[in-house]
Amino acid sequence: MSITSFYFLCFFTVVLGLYYILPKKLQWGFLLFVSFLWFMTTAEVAESGGWYVVLYPMAAVAAVYVAALLIDRAKEQRVKRAALICAVLFCVGLLCSLKFLGLGLLVPAGISFYTLTLLGYLFDVYYEIGAVQNSYGKLLLFGCYFPTMVSGPIVRYKEMEGQLFGGHRFDYRRVTFGLQRMLWGFFKKLVIAERMALVADQVFDHYTEYAGFEIWVGAAAFTLQLYTDFGGCMDIVLGISECFGITLPENFNAPFLARSISEYWRRWHISLGSWLREYLFYPLLRTRFFMALPGRLKPRFGKKRAKQITTFAAMFLLWFTIGYWHGGTWNYIIGSGLLHWFYIVSGELLEPWFAKWCAAWHIDRRKGWFTGLQRLRTFFLVTVGLIFFRNPRVPDALRMIGRAFGAFNPQIFVNGTLFSLGLDWIECSVALVSLLLFVSVTLLGQKGSVREMLERKPLAVRWILLYALLFYVILLGQYGPGYSASEFIYQNFRA
Amino acid sequence: MTREEVFERLNAVFQDVFDDGSITVNDGTTADDIEGWDSLEHINLVAAVEAEFGIKFSMGQVVSMKNVGEMADIILQKL
Repeated sequence: MSITSFYFLCFFTVVLGLYYILPKKLQWGFLLFVSFLWFMTTAEVAESGGWYVVLYPMAAVAAVYVAALLIDRAKEQRVKRAALICAVLFCVGLLCSLKFLGLGLLVPAGISFYTLTLLGYLFDVYYEIGAVQNSYGKLLLFGCYFPTMVSGPIVRYKEMEGQLFGGHRFDYRRVTFGLQRMLWGFFKKLVIAERMALVADQVFDHYTEYAGFEIWVGAAAFTLQLYTDFGGCMDIVLGISECFGITLPENFNAPFLARSISEYWRRWHISLGSWLREYLFYPLLRTRFFMALPGRLKPRFGKKRAKQITTFAAMFLLWFTIGYWHGGTWNYIIGSGLLHWFYIVSGELLEPWFAKWCAAWHIDRRKGWFTGLQRLRTFFLVTVGLIFFRNPRVPDALRMIGRAFGAFNPQIFVNGTLFSLGLDWIECSVALVSLLLFVSVTLLGQKGSVREMLERKPLAVRWILLYALLFYVILLGQYGPGYSASEFIYQNFRA
Repeated sequence: MTREEVFERLNAVFQDVFDDGSITVNDGTTADDIEGWDSLEHINLVAAVEAEFGIKFSMGQVVSMKNVGEMADIILQKL
């Protein structure tokens, strides 16, 4: 069941009640049970009746569990290495054959997320920076804890072990904070993302009928849709987990406040970025090939360039992987992978030239207007990438971008065309007001926890604001056909 | 080698890697204190430190060292 469905909220309420009635010792077992219950009700299982997919995560956990124990107990490096390689090949093989090779097999929910989570644990044990888990059941909960199965975040064992297995006493403040966070997620998802989706779908599905700014409006709507949808999902997921007393790592930190694309990737899907950096990018740069590369390139390019080229080459592989992980087809490989690699590389290469240019024109790059321009640039560059991401076929994306640059029609903003893109003027106003609210709260959040600020307000103000938001979501949320909120966009990437 | 000598040689490595002759590092220096010490440069730095001292860090040490003090401790252990 979708986590924005009414049934899920009922399920969650019952689960939360039972969780705090149970003695602390039994809580982790209960969470494991609930995780499996949730898993069995996901669309993948419920619609096809293929209950056997539950065996995939169980098998992946079993492989990682055994390998970690072997690595921990073996004396010889050779044995440790063999155990690591076998388990990694098994998990990655399962992920690739189920998700990427298009074999038409039933895919379990959350496979791209739990695979990385489990491998991170295994690498930590191998690198001797993480503890080993002796209980299969506990490792199973770590891998398949249901909030993280929806859409991430990818979690670290050392951050979770102290929280998952010890149990928690009911803490009024934490539970209310969790519920508030969920409400904020519902606002992003149901009020903003669902509205943006109408515009994005209209423009992307009929792009040959549009040109110039119409396409840019549609593309920007998709960027906002993806961000509020995925970000909203994270708020709900982190909120749910907070209600259980378990803090999950943040996945977003206002990515569109980033001044460059490399900063954007430190603020967007953070848990994926840091996972790939630590477990793929660093080890890659430490391989003999990449360690020797700067030395080999040095005579021809000089020391600095040689280092740069090496880094760019490794980054190419990293960004290819990020793109591939999103779905294994070229639209993802380009749109959320190689295009971003190109942005970052060209940004680095042009930087000295750009610095000189700014100095020549006496531009102070610390000024507010300059930061504003940089942020707009980030939004624009990401949006171009997402045009690829959203179009299943690359030629369509290229044609769409061509049409976007091919016409200059700012009149659409005043002659009413804007209201023919899926939202009439009332809906457009609701979307605009909601976006303004979203942006203001995001900016406020840069100064500290918004919920703590709210906590310091008088009781009446607090409740009025929360109820206002609640009714805003209930009244203005777009629930889609059949009152079941459409699936989170990112959930599609687990399958 | 004393801790002071390790820091002296580390200073030279840092100045070379980050192209800044004014850098001096101490126990508490972290990536936040030095401009350009991001995740990419971290690996270059580690490689340069390894070459300077003739040692090899494990992958776990590479990702888990929190500041220059920890780096110096590991170096002293390995020498």
